[in-house]
Amino acid sequence: MKRGSGEDIQPTQGPPKAKCEIAIIGGGVMGLGIAYQLAKRGIKDVVVLERGYLAQGASGRNGGGVRMQWSTEQNVRLMQQSIELCKSFAQEIGVNVWFRQGGYLFLAKLERERAIMERNVELQNRCGVPTRMMTPEEAGALVPELDIKKIVCACYNPKDGVLFPWPFLWGYAHQALKRGVEVHLFTNVDAITRDGGGFKLTTSKGEVRAKRVINAAGAWSPEVARMLGVELPNKPHRHEILSTEPLKPFLTPMVSVLSSGLYFSQSMRGEIVTGITVEDHAQGIQMGSRLKFLTTLAREMVSLVPRFADLKVLRQWAGPYDVSPDGHPILGEPPGVPGFYLACGFVGHGFMMAPIIAQLYAEWLAGGHKHEVFDRCRLQRFAEGKIEKESMILG
Amino acid sequence: MARADDKRINEVPHGDRLNLSFEGDDVPACAGESVAVALFASGERVLSRSIKYHRPRGFFCLAGHCGACLMRIDGKPNVRACKTPVKEGMRVERQNAFPTGAFDVLGAADFFFPKGMDHHTMMTSPRALNAVLNKVVRQLGGLGKLPDVPASPAELPRPRHKHVDVVVVGGGPAGLGCATETARGGKKTLLVDEQDRVGGSLLAHPQHGVRAANEALAAALKAGVEVLSSSTVLAWYPEDAAVDGGEPGLLAVHTPEGLLKVTASRYVYATGSYDQNAVFVDNDRPGVLPARAVGRLLVRFGVKPAERPVVVGDGPYARALADALARAGAEVTRIDGRDEQIVAAHGHGWVRSVETTRRKKLKCDLVAVAALPAPASELPRQHGVAVAFNDGKGGFHCRVDDDGRANAPHVFACGDVTGFGGIDDAVSAGARCGRAVVASFSANGMGAGARA
Amino acid sequence: MSNKAIICRCEDVTLSDVQHTISLGYKSIEEVKRYTGLGTGPCEGKECMVHCARMVALANGGDESVVLPFTSRPPVQPVPLAIFARGEEE
Repeated sequence: MKRGSGEDIQPTQGPPKAKCEIAIIGGGVMGLGIAYQLAKRGIKDVVVLERGYLAQGASGRNGGGVRMQWSTEQNVRLMQQSIELCKSFAQEIGVNVWFRQGGYLFLAKLERERAIMERNVELQNRCGVPTRMMTPEEAGALVPELDIKKIVCACYNPKDGVLFPWPFLWGYAHQALKRGVEVHLFTNVDAITRDGGGFKLTTSKGEVRAKRVINAAGAWSPEVARMLGVELPNKPHRHEILSTEPLKPFLTPMVSVLSSGLYFSQSMRGEIVTGITVEDHAQGIQMGSRLKFLTTLAREMVSLVPRFADLKVLRQWAGPYDVSPDGHPILGEPPGVPGFYLACGFVGHGFMMAPIIAQLYAEWLAGGHKHEVFDRCRLQRFAEGKIEKESMILG
Repeated sequence: MARADDKRINEVPHGDRLNLSFEGDDVPACAGESVAVALFASGERVLSRSIKYHRPRGFFCLAGHCGACLMRIDGKPNVRACKTPVKEGMRVERQNAFPTGAFDVLGAADFFFPKGMDHHTMMTSPRALNAVLNKVVRQLGGLGKLPDVPASPAELPRPRHKHVDVVVVGGGPAGLGCATETARGGKKTLLVDEQDRVGGSLLAHPQHGVRAANEALAAALKAGVEVLSSSTVLAWYPEDAAVDGGEPGLLAVHTPEGLLKVTASRYVYATGSYDQNAVFVDNDRPGVLPARAVGRLLVRFGVKPAERPVVVGDGPYARALADALARAGAEVTRIDGRDEQIVAAHGHGWVRSVETTRRKKLKCDLVAVAALPAPASELPRQHGVAVAFNDGKGGFHCRVDDDGRANAPHVFACGDVTGFGGIDDAVSAGARCGRAVVASFSANGMGAGARA
Repeated sequence: MSNKAIICRCEDVTLSDVQHTISLGYKSIEEVKRYTGLGTGPCEGKECMVHCARMVALANGGDESVVLPFTSRPPVQPVPLAIFARGEEE
């Protein structure tokens, strides 16, 4: 992508090839990440099918937060690895992602949240994550703009961070394309049928036969799975988000409030990017943002950070969380459809998990080690009743 | 009190004199001016530095639409100087420049990257260098600094709601004409305009001006239109109801008294058009302005824009502006913009010459670009109005029938937002649209005040 | 000497930035916006989107009908959070 370096590579023009080893449905960070990792391992006979433009889905709409602070050991350990990969992304992929480890500061406004917080911190410490509990005064030293009278206690992991999501997509796409992977934009998958030992995909640009198919379609993954008769339990939830005018850098961590789901951080360009949980009865996948979101967020924000009252909102939008019933992703092959792989249900942590999940998936599909996460996150777990809920969901 | 380089035209009445505090120095201003106009009239030129290359910037549109004149005013960052009325002692500062706005060492970025820098791929390796890049970019990012003083909770304004028969967004010639018609037709009409003075493009046109704007406004008020000025319609929110349990769909308006939620039986978008620049090298130099901004200076504010202006374009507005500038005593050079076009602007803190396809160096102290303004169709698009891109109409224009009816139910649009046509077209389109709006109430068979 | 024709003033996006993005195969306004940041500054595209539209039309063989604007997001003008922070009392 360097200008004039002869390395300019376009998304694949024309119809997809007639046959391939692996077809990936969804050109978000998960689909493109897997495509890149596969190509790195010599599996280049891959076709990525994205129905819109790059960054049209959740991958292009999120706030770029990346954290190790979770309430389940699985998520903590996975994110430790993912953050290591984020640190070297620019060097490996050749695109700046502006990853900054300013930490995540979680705030508790209610006394009953203290015990939950302490339990989570202890779990994270056991995994080697340096999260520590903080008093309101310590939180105030880290973020002086906070009204610490509103806080009971806090916890902080300095190694968590924020990044800018869009370049991941160009980077992964470019590196995959360079290695011979096809990446098709504005290409919808209309139908999938079983075809011999493999699959036949009917797309808006022609037919593709694939030995294996990966469903990395995020909030649209149930729609895709249904094409093969697989019912998935994940549902799209709208999450609204806004960004403000750009300011000179002053805010170190991403800050989040447990009770309201408020989160805010400062991007590389200086904008405050922020969201909050808002009651929502809209059905289906919604990308519009409401006045109700703005008023809910403003009220909580101005109460907690009075100095932000004069911050000007530039734009508000929304993106879909692909929500699984227990807050953990749905991975692996569903029963009865071998060769069809699920990579969905990541709730609000799909982007940050993509680097590690992509690597693990590619390793497995290339004939290597099958990480235990693919078994723990199997679709069957819901029917089996074997679930452990992840509770630290934001926004 | 006036400076030697004061550009205010003596023959034109100006408001009472006062002083701004501009980075510690007193700068004279007149009540009724915006900060941007006052600074310009008193000889100040560079108002800010651009975000990436720290290029010097002055104001551009003077109507609150572009992002050129952002300054720190009374301790608040990123405030549009052209939308801020002057007050005695108002503190005005430039942002995003080190050490001062007038001299910015970071402007070296502009010199070292003449063709631009691709921030996506620069310095990704080795890791240590990339880490330094990340740190530097973060420090350079952003425009203003966090506001000085927190707002006190008791001062936060309370939101209100208003329901009317007809709301007209935009108080230019089309909007005023439309609202006057609907009010005369017996419909409770609210007109909302974002400027501190209603009149829209009338206030920038030498052949119309303040008098025409006042007349149009007087007619609207006489007909019974309720007019809200300095009020910006922020959005059409289709999912939100103005009152609990009410029908969803409202306009959110930012008024000086806070948030106003407006619902109506009919919505008319007469939002006009945004001034555009031409594309040539260093077209962002201070002093390269859209023609209507130059018109605003001259016509609304009584400020002489330049001694040696270049006017680019050969349409009726370009001609009218060139004549008016000449009458104000300027030595005007006209470039038709077709057979002869500007290739580059020269100068650093202000334009001092241009290079055209015919002339190597044409000395000037201002460039007025009469490019086709772009229809301001954001709000109608949010409201579901179909738009189409058409270069000849200025950009993305609303698709409406001859009476201004849009495809979205109960929504109309008139004037430049339906495709640039200028003031006379806007006046007649506005009136026609207003009559169609009134007729649409009877066609429904519903009484006034019912929301169909 | 600078050689920049500015398309997006707010984000310092140049003519050659937009041309380069289009040459990479990103031939829609939404894609140019994402790749260059055009239209994401304080003016939210008011001064730059139409220039981009012209270039996109050219890249699509002069076909204006395929040129779609980027989604217009609220608010249309920057507005302080304070305006929304107080509840409505009857």
